[in-house]
Formats: sequence, structure tokens, C-alpha cells
Amino acid sequence: MTDAPNKLTVVGLRKLTPMQRRLVSVLIHVALLGASVLMLYPLLWMLAASFRPENEIFTSASIIPSAWSLDAYFRGWNGLRTSFGTFFTNSFIISILSVCGNVMACSMAAFAFARLQFRGKNFWFALMLMTLMLPYQVTLIPQYVLFRQLGWVNTFLPLVVPKFLAADGFFIFLMVQFFRGLPKELDEAAQMDGCSPWRIYWKIVLPLSMPVLATAAIFTFIWTWDDFFGPLIYLSEMRTYTVMLGLRTFTDSTGMSDYGGLFAMSVLSLVPIFLFFLFFQRLLIEGIATTGMKR
Amino acid sequence: MTARSLESGAPARERAAPSLWARIWQNDAPGYLFLLPWLIGFLGLTVGPMVTSLYLSFTHFDLLTAPRWTGVDNYMRMFTNDPKFWASMRVTMFFVIFSVPLKLAFALGVAMLLNRGIRGLPLYRALFYLPSLLGASVAIAILWRQIFAGDGLVNKFLSIFGIVGPSWISNPNYSLWTLIVLSIWQFGSPMIIFLAGLRQIPQDMYEAASLDGASKWRQFVKITLPLLTPVVFFNAIIQTIEAFKSFTPAFIISGGTGNPINSTLFYTLYLYQEAFGFFRMGYASALAWVLLALVGLFTAFSFLTSKYWVHYDD
Amino acid sequence: MTIRIDRRQFLMGSSALVAAGAAGVMPAWAQGANMRLTFWGGQDRADRTYGVTDLYTAANGGSIEGEFLAWNDYWPKLATQTAGGNAPDLIQMDYRYIVEYAQRNAIASLDEFVGGALKLDDFDADQLEGGKVNGQLYGISLGANTVATLINTAAFEEADIAVPTSDWTYDDILATGEAFAAANVRNGMKMMTDSSGTEPMLDNWLRQKGLALYTAEGELGFGADEMIEWFTMWNSFRDAGVIVSPEDQALDTGPLETTMLVSGKAAMMPSNSNQLVGYQALLPDRLDMVGYPRLAPGVGGGHYRKPSMFFSVAGSSANKEAAAEFLSFFINDPDAGKILGVERGVPCAAAVRDAVAPTLDAQNQIALHFVANLGDLLGPLPPPPPAAAGEIDISLLRTLSQEVAFGGRSAEDAGVYFVNEAAAILDRAS
Repeated sequence: MTDAPNKLTVVGLRKLTPMQRRLVSVLIHVALLGASVLMLYPLLWMLAASFRPENEIFTSASIIPSAWSLDAYFRGWNGLRTSFGTFFTNSFIISILSVCGNVMACSMAAFAFARLQFRGKNFWFALMLMTLMLPYQVTLIPQYVLFRQLGWVNTFLPLVVPKFLAADGFFIFLMVQFFRGLPKELDEAAQMDGCSPWRIYWKIVLPLSMPVLATAAIFTFIWTWDDFFGPLIYLSEMRTYTVMLGLRTFTDSTGMSDYGGLFAMSVLSLVPIFLFFLFFQRLLIEGIATTGMKR
Repeated sequence: MTARSLESGAPARERAAPSLWARIWQNDAPGYLFLLPWLIGFLGLTVGPMVTSLYLSFTHFDLLTAPRWTGVDNYMRMFTNDPKFWASMRVTMFFVIFSVPLKLAFALGVAMLLNRGIRGLPLYRALFYLPSLLGASVAIAILWRQIFAGDGLVNKFLSIFGIVGPSWISNPNYSLWTLIVLSIWQFGSPMIIFLAGLRQIPQDMYEAASLDGASKWRQFVKITLPLLTPVVFFNAIIQTIEAFKSFTPAFIISGGTGNPINSTLFYTLYLYQEAFGFFRMGYASALAWVLLALVGLFTAFSFLTSKYWVHYDD
Repeated sequence: MTIRIDRRQFLMGSSALVAAGAAGVMPAWAQGANMRLTFWGGQDRADRTYGVTDLYTAANGGSIEGEFLAWNDYWPKLATQTAGGNAPDLIQMDYRYIVEYAQRNAIASLDEFVGGALKLDDFDADQLEGGKVNGQLYGISLGANTVATLINTAAFEEADIAVPTSDWTYDDILATGEAFAAANVRNGMKMMTDSSGTEPMLDNWLRQKGLALYTAEGELGFGADEMIEWFTMWNSFRDAGVIVSPEDQALDTGPLETTMLVSGKAAMMPSNSNQLVGYQALLPDRLDMVGYPRLAPGVGGGHYRKPSMFFSVAGSSANKEAAAEFLSFFINDPDAGKILGVERGVPCAAAVRDAVAPTLDAQNQIALHFVANLGDLLGPLPPPPPAAAGEIDISLLRTLSQEVAFGGRSAEDAGVYFVNEAAAILDRAS
């Protein structure tokens, strides 16, 4: 109680009456809600912009539109010759395939790096990290040439196949860190029982790693959905466009733009990724902590 | 034991060969089998373009005609005759040094707060992730202007205290700071990773410590932090690499110019200008490989020191 | 080819299946050339462009697969496609990049088709000239435009000051600007932007002095003295408080919504004649346009009718002749012209111009009228800029003008620095 000042506050908290406890909890919620407004503001602004007259978007000081209209949504949805429904379908196909590919391929590679011993492991791991460090802008053209030789340009293949081949080292590295944190005794015991590495991976490591797998799934989905440069370079026909690519074609700094349509479709484009997040974040809290594994 | 030693001797060398292969199969094969998808991707899709870009860094390549070998000219120019290289390096270094620790501290703090079993946790988590969802949307550029321009929200707030603030976002002395704030504001990804890490810590350890009368702070120092170090390590490395490569925020806020007065000319923004604006892909490739060397050195150093502070269960 | 389509169908899901199926039954698929067309622009431009491609393919067969992107996205993609040997047949090209692409044979000389597939009898001579590089025709102008100052007329009315006409001068920026600032409308709105870093404005100012931004040989057409005078002049405006502050001006990063005109910080802004419509859509106040300011009353010759953009044919295209034929239709057909309007600038073929004029709305009439009646503002067409002009503009002029504006460099220092650096950049590029 007296030896360390930093202890004071924490220990002090414990001695609070239920009434004071409640007060602290209320204060925390007030702070969190206040912060939430800061996080929400751009969304509200975008929402307002999607409902208001075009010539008011950048000139009005108020966030409340002077007149409300759904016009921008209809205009935006069908505005680009190809309906946004097509773009949403394309984005879904690419994103879902990417999630499957990334979670499978990256967890396998991560399992190898984290739990298995083999020669050359550090060498490959270092190379894997290196791929994270080179700015994509300079590998873009050689990669384009490669994919073109494979006949993949103007298909989803350049966007999806690399995911099934664990091309994004970020997720391998992420999973390695989590897999290494799992108790070693688990697979030692399993090995004693004659379990193959595959069974250890499938039956022990994966089920215990739901938080990190969910994290990888969420990030892959959102980042693929938000990705712009890959689709820009590899997709040339409008019926293959993704949502992000569609959004970018609303504005052009040299001529007429449709800002209302842009913001209306931007709002809609957030819905799937937000829902995906909400759904998968439940998995974030499962895992060792809740299954009660003993170390 | 005796039986096996009896068999050793002169013919053993013949027999050692298959057993060596068997051992390799036994020891190395599982690892490589699990690594196979990545290996195929790396050797088939990644290594080629990387090596090509390394080759291009020794050439003059204008994108439209074949590259022309120029030796180390690009690297020479970079270090001896390119003030913009140094300017962009300075901007990026400043950004990395301030944005990464602040972002990580913020993300960890919020993750800890959210991990207390607060009611409405999923809601807050989702709300706090929202800024990261917006990614590189035009809305962000407009919003940042509304907050940090001369007549923006920050200055309206300051004016309550009689302070007349500058136009933070377009004043070369402060513009980089608005990008650092933007980077911190988009703290969602490291926060989620911290949360996942916190969730991986067995609850019973806290219960045991609680029974022993350990304070919350002691629990944090003795249990949470050590067990979280792999995740802290990951976030630190990744965020640093990402900060070095940071491109999108500066691109959308400054319209790709890096202005005012090159104060937001991030390294990769400069690289992009050189590559696609001014048709000097060879020089851009050289810039990229210098960045790789720099980030690689940093990462290698981090890994070397990690054994002293990162706690793995192996 | 069939394999590729199969794979696509497999990959692209139901929507694409339907689209591919629909394409399969179109008779156009079987005959004529299949070409790809790429351009930058917004939805409006796309609708008009596709209207013309539909019109063309319906009459002539073949297919034209169009793609449009925003300016910032267009150039990296085009460069990547060109480098990857996969450039579209028809490429929208800008004045800034045409030399670069032509010199490297990324776009094809069209001379062999002139008079044959490509009919240019009725085409404005200066617009034809604007598409030439080293004497060869590489780009067909899709419309003429000219620089123009956009004016927020409502702001002038509020300030109770007469709206400037095309006779306004640089001295008026000072004189009228002071009256405007004194009227203090709309929270301290200024009359004019700080355009010391606006390349076309510098160009216009130099031309009125009988100089040029670049010579025909691709060298700088002026010296340090002019540059010092230029920066000094803007310093005097800045000190007098008649133009927006450097901090405000730096908020303008290119997109329309960031400009001083849209954000309501300035009532006048240098721009282009074909952009009036785009700006008007974002502002409730009525906009009008006049020329760039004159050096002194009666001095003109700074303006010229500039090709707003070109269509070029890729050097790697297998359908060059068919592409030229389409181009010919695009610029000469009156029905195509009516669809295109003046969205890309004023049509360059006289017959098309006559067909289009009556169909235009009020704002487009303003632009058309302005370009057609430049009077003594109009000067000769300058030679095409050297390939490094873009770099000098973006990485030198704009940055340097900000350094001067924020007080980091004196006008004298900046003038000398500009000339030296520009020479170095030109040297490096050649």
C-alpha cells in the first residue's frame, strides 16, 4: 500500500465502494463514447454528404444537409455503365477467396516456421521478411510482365493466386508469433502419442489459435476489399472491376466528378467490411483464454 | 544398444546413406511440406520480380524502352547529387520515430482498456476500428482538412483560449505532424492484434496471481507484458516497416505532391514520383533497394536483440 | 483466346457470365477489329465517349472495349501496360506526356493514315500542329481549350465591386484586390488566388512579354531576371493582402474540391475554359470566366488555343488503321460531335462545331463563346514542351513558389535557383 506509488492507485481502486466503482465505470464509458465520436465523425460526414445536394458538399459548414435526397444512391449505383452490384460481386469473390487462401497457406507456413525444425529455416524466414520490405511500386512492372506471360491479366488470378501461395509475409509473421506462444508441452505430448505434424497442426495448433486466425481473416478481407492498386493494374474491363476501383472512377481532378455518387457508394462499400468485422470479431475472444487450457 | 553398436563398423558407411536420407525425410520433410505453398509462391511469383527490380536499379529504365545498363550511377546520384533523396529520407525518419511508438502505445492502451471485460466491448472494438476501415478514402483527406486547416476544428477549439493557430495541414512546419496524427488515429490493426494477444494469455494465471495478492500493476508487469512480448515484437517490427514504406496517407493528403515545400515528401512518395511521374524506374528501383537495406538492417538488429526481451514458450 | 474466355467465365462469377454470354450473341463480335480504348475522365466523359463507340461499332462492326480512370490512376496504369507490352490500341494523351510517349515510339505516327483512314480536311490547323512531335503527327486533338480565369460573380456582387472583364490587368489584382479585401465579404475572402506556382499563368505572363516558357529546342525560354520579377510581383500582392495566404493556398493540392474557388477563399482563380462546368457543379454561386490578366491595358497574345487532350494510337497496336478510322469518325462525325459536346473542349472540325453549338447549355455556351472570341488575347501556338516540363512544374516551380510564399527564400534567390535547377533537370532528361 505504501511502497510503490503506482500501486497506490490500483490498490486504491479495489477499496472503492460499489457506488464509486459504478462511477468509475460510467466515467470510462463516457471517455470511450467521446473517443467513439472522434472515430465516427468521418462516417457521419460521409453519410451527410451522400444525402445532400452536390453543390453543398464542400461549401456547407454544417454537417446537417439542407435537403435530404436518396438521389445520389440511385445515381451512383447505376452511374458507371456497369451496376455497382457487379463490383460488389467481384469484390466479394476476390475477398472471400483471399481469406481462404491466406488463412490456409499462411498458417501452414507459419506452423513450419514456428513449430517444426528443418534445415534452412532461418534463411527462408529472413527471405520471407525481406519480401515485406521492398516497396511494391518497383516490383509492379516485372510482376505485370510475369502475369501477362501467364495469361492472367484481366482475370482475378493475379489478385487471388498469390494469397493461396502465402505471398503476404505479414500474415505468416503474425501467425508465427502466436504459434510460438502456444505451450510447447502440447505438441510434445501429442508427439509422444504418435501424432503426425499434420495432426498437431490441424487438431491442436489451429483450434487454439482462433484469435489470430480470425485476425488474419478480418485483415485479409478488409485489406483485399480496400486494395486499389492491384485491381487498378490487373483489371481492365469494367465488368471485372472491384468496388474500390469503381469508387475511384467517380472523381477526376480534370473534369466533371460525381461526389454525391462517390460518397453514397463509399457508405455502401463500408457495409460488407463492417459486417464481416462484426461477425468475425466474435472469434477474436475465443482461444486459450476461454477454453481454459492449462499451461 | 549393443545390437546396434555391433552392426556399426566398416559396412556402416554403406548403410549410413539411406539412413541419412531417411533422417532428412524424417527431420526436414515435414517442415518443407508445410512450407511448400509459400515456397512455390516465393520462387514462382515473388523472387523473379524482386531480382528484376534489383537489376533495374543498375540501369536507366524509362518504362517505355528497354533498360540501359548504367552501373552504380543511380546509387551515386542518390548519395552525392540528390537533395530530394535526403529530404524524403529526413521526412520518413521523422515520421517513423514519432508515429510508430505513439501508435503502438495508443493501440496497447486501448486494447488493455477494452480487455477489462467492459460491457459493450464488441461495439467499442468495432467503433475504434472504423478509422482503419476507411483506409485511403477521399473522405479522410477532406476530413483532415476540416480538422487541421486554418479555420478547422482544432483552431476553433484553440480560439476559446484566445490562441490563433496556424493552418496545421498546409504549414510546412506542422504538416508532417498531421500525418503522424492520422497514422495514430488509424490504430485499429495493432489494437486488434494486441487484443488477440491479450486473449491468448491464460486467465488462470491472473487468478492465481490475484490469490497471491499481486496488484494489477504487478500482474501487468509480471504476466501481461512478458507473455505479450511476441506480439509487441511483431507489432513493432511490422509498424516500423510499414511506416518506412508509408505512402497512401501522404498521397491522399498532399495530392501526391509531398508539399507544402516537400514537408510530406515520404520516401516512397518520392520513389513513386520518380518511377511513374518522371519515367525513371531504374532510379526508383535503386531507391527501393536502399530502403530495403535500411529496413533490413533495422529488422536484423531487432531480431538479434529480441532474444533478450521477447518471451517465447520455447 | 477461347481458353482465356473460359477461364474468365470461370473466375468472374455469374454477372460476368451473363455479360460474356450477351457479348457472344452480338453480331459485332464476328467482324471488324476488336480494339481497346483508354482515357481519363469522369462519368460524364465516359457516357459521352461510350455513346460514340456504340454509334461507331453499330455501324461498322468490330468492338471497342473502353476503360476510363481518374487522372492520377491513369498514368501509372498506362505506363505499366505499355511496359508490359499490353497497351490499349487507342490512348487518350496529354500535352504533358505526348513527347515522352512519342519519342519512345510508345505511340505511333499517324502521318501515313492522313487523307486515307484519317480525314483532317476540315480540321483546325493550330490544333493539328499541337499534336505534332518532331514534325510528325502523334496525337489528334479532341478539342481546343484555353486558359481562363474563373470568377465567382456572387462574391463580387456582395462586395459591390464590378466583375472584371477580359481587359483586367495585373495592376488590377492590386487595386481591385484592395477594394475587395476592404469589403471583407465571406469571412475575409480574397479576390485572387496565390498563383505564383501556376505554370500556365507564368507561361501566359512570359508570352505577353514576347518570351516563352520553353524554346522550340526544348530549352528554358527566359532567364533569372524574369523569374525574379515574377516572384517579386507575387510578393507585392501577398504583402498587400490581396491574394490568399500561403497557408491557404497550400491547401490546394489539385483536386477540384481543394481549390480556393470551391473552398470560398478566393473569388478568382486561373483555370481552363473547359473546367467551368466541373466547378459550377460544386458551387451554388454563379461562375463566369475571363482571360488571364494582362501585363498592361492593350497587351495581349498570352493565350493560345491548346489541344485539351489527344487520342493517340499505341505503337504496339495491331489495328492501327482501324484505330485511325475510328479516330476520324470521332472527330468528324456530326452525330458523334453532338454526343461529345464540348466536354473535351471545343471541337476542332468546323462542321462539327456548327452542329454542336446550338445543342449546348448556358455554361457550355460561355466556354464555347470564350474560346471562339479571344480577340487580341490570342497569340501563336508555342512549340510542344520538352519531356522534362512536367518535372520542372511539379518538383521545382510549385515547391519553390511555396518556399518564397512562406518566406523561406527571397525572390532573387528563388529566381536564380529556378533557372539553374531547371537547366539541370532539362540536361538530365536529354
